[in-house]
Amino acid sequence: MISKFQIAYKNLLRKKTRTLLTLVGIVLSSWVLVSLLGFNRGYESALNRDIDNMGYQIMVMAKGCPYEAATMMLQGGAGLRYIEASTVDGIVNRAEVEAATPILMQAFFDPNKGDGGGIAGYFGVDLATFPAMKPFLKFKKGGWPQGEKAAEAAEAVMGYEAAELEQREVGDLILVPEKNVELKVVGILERTGTQDDGTIFVPLKTLQRISGLDKITTIGIKVKKDANIEKLEAALYQLPDMQVVSFSQVKQTIMKLIATARVMVLSIAVIALLIAMVGVVNTILMSVLERKHEIGILKTMGAMPGDIFRLVWTETLILCTTGGVAGIGLAFLFARLSDVLVRRVLPYAPGGELVAIDLRLALLTLLIIVAVGLLSGIYPAWKAGRVRPLDSIRSEA
Amino acid sequence: MKLSKGSCCNGLLVSGLVCLVAAGTPLSAAVSCELNYPASDIQRLFPESTSFKKVYFSFSNRGGPALLQKVEARLGGLPALYAPLDVPYVAYEIFKGTKKIGYVHGVNQKGQFGVLEVFVSLDLEGRIKAFYLQRIAGQWAKKFTTPNFGKQFVGLTLKEFEKYNLISGKGAGKVSAIANPAPEAATDFFGLLRAVNKNLVLMDEFFYSVDKANP
Repeated sequence: MISKFQIAYKNLLRKKTRTLLTLVGIVLSSWVLVSLLGFNRGYESALNRDIDNMGYQIMVMAKGCPYEAATMMLQGGAGLRYIEASTVDGIVNRAEVEAATPILMQAFFDPNKGDGGGIAGYFGVDLATFPAMKPFLKFKKGGWPQGEKAAEAAEAVMGYEAAELEQREVGDLILVPEKNVELKVVGILERTGTQDDGTIFVPLKTLQRISGLDKITTIGIKVKKDANIEKLEAALYQLPDMQVVSFSQVKQTIMKLIATARVMVLSIAVIALLIAMVGVVNTILMSVLERKHEIGILKTMGAMPGDIFRLVWTETLILCTTGGVAGIGLAFLFARLSDVLVRRVLPYAPGGELVAIDLRLALLTLLIIVAVGLLSGIYPAWKAGRVRPLDSIRSEA
Repeated sequence: MKLSKGSCCNGLLVSGLVCLVAAGTPLSAAVSCELNYPASDIQRLFPESTSFKKVYFSFSNRGGPALLQKVEARLGGLPALYAPLDVPYVAYEIFKGTKKIGYVHGVNQKGQFGVLEVFVSLDLEGRIKAFYLQRIAGQWAKKFTTPNFGKQFVGLTLKEFEKYNLISGKGAGKVSAIANPAPEAATDFFGLLRAVNKNLVLMDEFFYSVDKANP
């Protein structure tokens, strides 16, 4: 015996072009919807990963101090302001703080870099605390300076890009410009995809000695997992002449910016979904009107309104499920392409997967598509169920 | 001036964003040697030029591992530190009006304290017209960037380098006559000679041999 599904399937095939166009609409809207939901999740987790990869969630520095390499390069090292190294002790003893590491950033002018000279940036790091704060840093070759005098050793660890750019290997020498101090390369990091790739790390005391100062520029703070970050930030704001950069704030700001864009794009996706569903209603309704006579005959043969309703609803179910599955399949297939496109559009895109689609998300999207589709199919199905057999046969005659 | 907390926070957040952007953007890889300021550098290296065109080439699209082996053999197994096969190299084709008049090409070479970025401008016969050391590290750097040192390379061709052993530092011809202005920097001096040789060999393989084959 032929099943309801088979009848519904055959009915859809009667008007192939119309069915195909409706299907395309559903496919496109499901593709957009699942990709957007995937982006929603992927972006946040990628951003979290980027922030975690920095090793610390809060940075403290002197007011007006350009604190990162990008800024330092732009400023040419001028305008760096320093803080006392002892400030770290006051911070590390706070209950919310898991670890704190002092950092000295220095930029030296290299007159032999290009025609007009250039800036070479160095990170002075405390070997007792910094490596532990960034355990994800892996060495391509060598390691952090070792031994009793490691903290003051004339040695350096180079980021992957820095080493490649300077063609340095473990055992090679580098020269600190301006100061003409030789440093031996003892470690080269694996590529991280972050700023660390272009950084030259030197033991803090060594860089302090080279620079002729005993201060630092920055304190990196790793907060305990269950600690109240806002409370710690508020306390740090009270430190005189210090400024605090919290990556949780930065993250919130980025997420707010992204959220605005996301709401707009999501609205478009919802509109696309609605248009697709209007297409579904149109297709099924047209099909019902065209088959009024046939439905009338079915009713005269004993079909109840519920049977007709279910038959027509099944057509909607087949359309939405097929379109949804195909759209989600395309989203899976072109996820990396979507990733590339999104990266081009966004002003800031964290590393890693931006559009993260998994089976759970795919099923959720399919559920949404099918649910909205079935809702859209209620009216045509109801209309079909209400067809009066005699009227329909008479009108056809 | 005391900043209000709000404006300070905004500033910090903007700075933080800059920082995150920097953190998420790896520096460009040392794929090949490019001029920092091509427009002014080429005008200086090729004063008669009116325009230039950047040309990318790589071993992978011109002969693959076999060509790489051939080039390395021509370099005598010297520490060449080639990038992977698919890494693009850059050369600048120089034009006067619509007529091509030469090339500018640079290579990276390992130096004592860092990379040496060595450029030469060449006429269509492969003769050096100018030598430009874009990057070198060391107290002696200035001695190698003087015009007098660079002039010693002018007029040299690949044939001159073939008369000189760049490993032993022995040989005859004009290359052997190039004076080291910083005897304490033998590593960099020989690195520069090897860089110029590498430069000429690459240009010969990728451009001059092609030009000869398709005149």
